[in-house]
Amino acid sequence: MAREQVERQAKLLALDNRRAEPGIIKMYWFPDDEEVRLVGLLPSVPRTDNGSVQPYHFLANPAASLPAPSGIALIRPDEFGKLELPAGWGSWDDAVPLEEGE
Amino acid sequence: MNWREAFIRQAKSEHALLRRLDRPDVEYSHRLHYIQMVTEKLAKGFRANPSDPNPPPTTHHALVRLLQTLKGRPEVRRQLGYSDAAVFRAFIDSLLDLADQVEQLVPGAANTTQPNAEYPWRDPKTGEVFAPIDYAFPLFDPRNPRMIKFERLLDALVNIAT
Repeated sequence: MAREQVERQAKLLALDNRRAEPGIIKMYWFPDDEEVRLVGLLPSVPRTDNGSVQPYHFLANPAASLPAPSGIALIRPDEFGKLELPAGWGSWDDAVPLEEGE
Repeated sequence: MNWREAFIRQAKSEHALLRRLDRPDVEYSHRLHYIQMVTEKLAKGFRANPSDPNPPPTTHHALVRLLQTLKGRPEVRRQLGYSDAAVFRAFIDSLLDLADQVEQLVPGAANTTQPNAEYPWRDPKTGEVFAPIDYAFPLFDPRNPRMIKFERLLDALVNIAT
């Protein structure tokens, strides 16, 4: 799958997350060619208890315009940069902020 | 079969059993026990990456986190019959504290002094020991509208989980 296609879906999901949860203050995308990888910062989410980002995974759903599988995690803003990322997600320096309206 | 498929298969089977327990001659604690188990398996199923050979990690608040994540999933929202994201959000938000309380029903979380659906416990105030089958679980009264909504959400999630 082309990186651009994954990025398009990442932006779509980030926007949908912001609309569904206005409490999200930032969405970050971890670029990958096969999977959408997102981390959202949400102050009201329970604190992570084991030191690592733990995304929920959703299968590709082309009929819903979601051609790539995705992993999405919500963490508290003060956990950004401190938690261990899932294997293969790279480092926190790889996180691309997806601004509102993108 | 991967971990995700296995957890979701188990959740669907336990959910089918849960529905068979919905009878007046079955103590409510058994239903509640299955509700807790189904939510646990569902949350772990969604947490499992299909391409990861390792099982999903065990964490607290897995169900609450799953529900908060689902708010931002347009395909899930549509599959559950909501066209308006704000309405879906309000629906999920109204059930988050109940979901948290369901997660606390795990015996390990409840320990031996708090009500849970599986093991006896002692009330620290009265010293009375309860068996789950004899306890009414007022927080989870099946006639309470919020509990009815929660069970409907559970039914829907089990149906769409893949």
